[in-house]
Amino acid sequence: MKRDIPDLAGGLILAAIGLFVTFYSVEQYDIGTMRRMGPGFFPVLLGGTLSVLGLIIALPALGRQGEAIRVAWKECLAVLAAILVFAAGLNSLGLVLATLISVLIATLATPNRRIGWRILLAGIVTTLSVGVFSFGLKMTVPLWPGL
Amino acid sequence: MSGWDGFLHGLSVAAQPDVLIYCMFGVLLGTFVGVLPGIGAMATISLLLPITYYLSPEAALVMLAGVYYGSQYGGAVASILLRLPGTPQSAVTTLDGYPLAQQGRAGVALFTSMVSSFAGSMIGIFVLIVLSGALTRAAVAFGAAEYAAMMLLGLVAASTVGAKAPAKGLAMVVLGLILGCVGTDVNSGAQRFTFGQTELMDGINLVALAMGLFGVAEVIANIRKAERTGVPPHVALRDLMPSRAELRRIPFPALRGASLGSFFGALPGTGSTISSFLAYAAERRISRRPEQFGKGAIEGIAGPEAANNSAAISAFVPTLALGIPGDPIMALMLGALVIHGVQPGPLMLEARPDMFWGLIASFGIGNLLLLVLNLPLIGIWVSMLRIPFRWLYPAILIFVCLGVYSVRGASFDIFAVALIGVIGYALMLARFNPALLLLGFVLGPLIETNLRRALLIGRGDPMVFLQRPLAAAFIIAAAGLIVMSLVQVIRRKGTPAEPAS
Repeated sequence: MKRDIPDLAGGLILAAIGLFVTFYSVEQYDIGTMRRMGPGFFPVLLGGTLSVLGLIIALPALGRQGEAIRVAWKECLAVLAAILVFAAGLNSLGLVLATLISVLIATLATPNRRIGWRILLAGIVTTLSVGVFSFGLKMTVPLWPGL
Repeated sequence: MSGWDGFLHGLSVAAQPDVLIYCMFGVLLGTFVGVLPGIGAMATISLLLPITYYLSPEAALVMLAGVYYGSQYGGAVASILLRLPGTPQSAVTTLDGYPLAQQGRAGVALFTSMVSSFAGSMIGIFVLIVLSGALTRAAVAFGAAEYAAMMLLGLVAASTVGAKAPAKGLAMVVLGLILGCVGTDVNSGAQRFTFGQTELMDGINLVALAMGLFGVAEVIANIRKAERTGVPPHVALRDLMPSRAELRRIPFPALRGASLGSFFGALPGTGSTISSFLAYAAERRISRRPEQFGKGAIEGIAGPEAANNSAAISAFVPTLALGIPGDPIMALMLGALVIHGVQPGPLMLEARPDMFWGLIASFGIGNLLLLVLNLPLIGIWVSMLRIPFRWLYPAILIFVCLGVYSVRGASFDIFAVALIGVIGYALMLARFNPALLLLGFVLGPLIETNLRRALLIGRGDPMVFLQRPLAAAFIIAAAGLIVMSLVQVIRRKGTPAEPAS
């Protein structure tokens, strides 16, 4: 069975978003009139357009072989984890520790590297970020864990 | 104040030490990220957006613009030496640049690209001065209907011209327009799509959106890809000098490319990538030695490189004169202007002459800096190609997080960046163009305001868009583009499918 999965899924998701936007706006906001557009007018117009476009993308994808896609799972997870840990830890751990840990997590995406390289890079990036943001731009962010 | 007086005044603004320093920083950083495959001008400008809060508006814009046109110079280096375009605009340069490099003439190819880029930029600046003056005067006659119609044309052109799947492009634009609705409606005060989150009341943060879509998503996509780069050949300063015969093949292609580029760059929706392809096709068609193209023709570098640089400059025409960005990079520039409380458009020339002319003059200074610095520094730029991406991406990620946090000190924005980054990566995988989403996002509120105004003036009759000649012309052009792309898609389907491999 031939399917272009990315286009099929993408089109359907977009169509669903479009429908949601349309109904939610009709439900929640005043549409107004052509003469006096209410806050719901433009979203309804856009939601409708998006759902039509989504179907135009999805329907032809049913009878066509799509290109295979390769998801970089490991890279994606490492990058996400690094950002989330940074976001969660910035205020409690302080800039220095949050950066160190976050860089160490991010480097997990590159295999076959020694731990020495990872620590060296974490040190460099931490020095840079403290230098640029804390000392250079005088950003108000704790450097160390609060007591 | 207009034309040359304005430009001279602008030079006095752009030559102030602090502006000059940020101009230099911008063009050098631009070249650096242009050289490096794996991070482009979009990502870098998004990354710098929060830092511009700490600068004067003039310095900020001069720096961001410098990154953009600087990356065009740098992009050619990776194209020529590794056949890896550092920026999409320099993809065409691989066709003749890489063969030249393999013949041991990498230096000549680099020289050609830099000199042509410089010539293209200078012509672009000339066109920008002439056109933006004329357009600002013409814009007085522009009403809300014209603005809304022109933005519509720009969005349709950006997503359909030269696109393989126009429906996907249009869908991205519309999704961007929807995201632009999030937050407090300026007209009625209604909270749209905030779902009770106070963080969303001001709308989705442009910085978070741009950094997620271009910073985070590109890092994820490039960690593996950018690791497989080749070893660039060694290039010394003396290798740059072309022979007299080669030198004579540069000026006319560069001139033609620059004319093409400055024309298409100024149109909404068609930018420097398309102009570089058109310039290449044009050079091959009129050449007396078309068989040399693809094997190292100087003209095949000079034309496109001049075209993409002049287009990068003339793209500022609609952005500065009308306040309508024609491509995603210009949308970011517009966002940066708005962050600093500068409203681009016909009034900007009167209200902020320093900003307007200073920016234009800085293009001249910046390009001169690029030419003077890059020729002697070429050895350093080539060695930059040896830096593996794994040394860079953790720093990029941390800078993304800190940058977006610095805007208003909210960890919420860092979490938002992570989410947007994943969505952006998924979009890239499924071959949807996230840049078009950003274009729609920035233009959304502008279109809604002008649509509302136009309908109010037209007493609720949508025919108002067809009764005014200029607005009607924009609408018809947009409809024509949609019909044309439909015909193309259907015709492609009519041809027999390629044999299965």
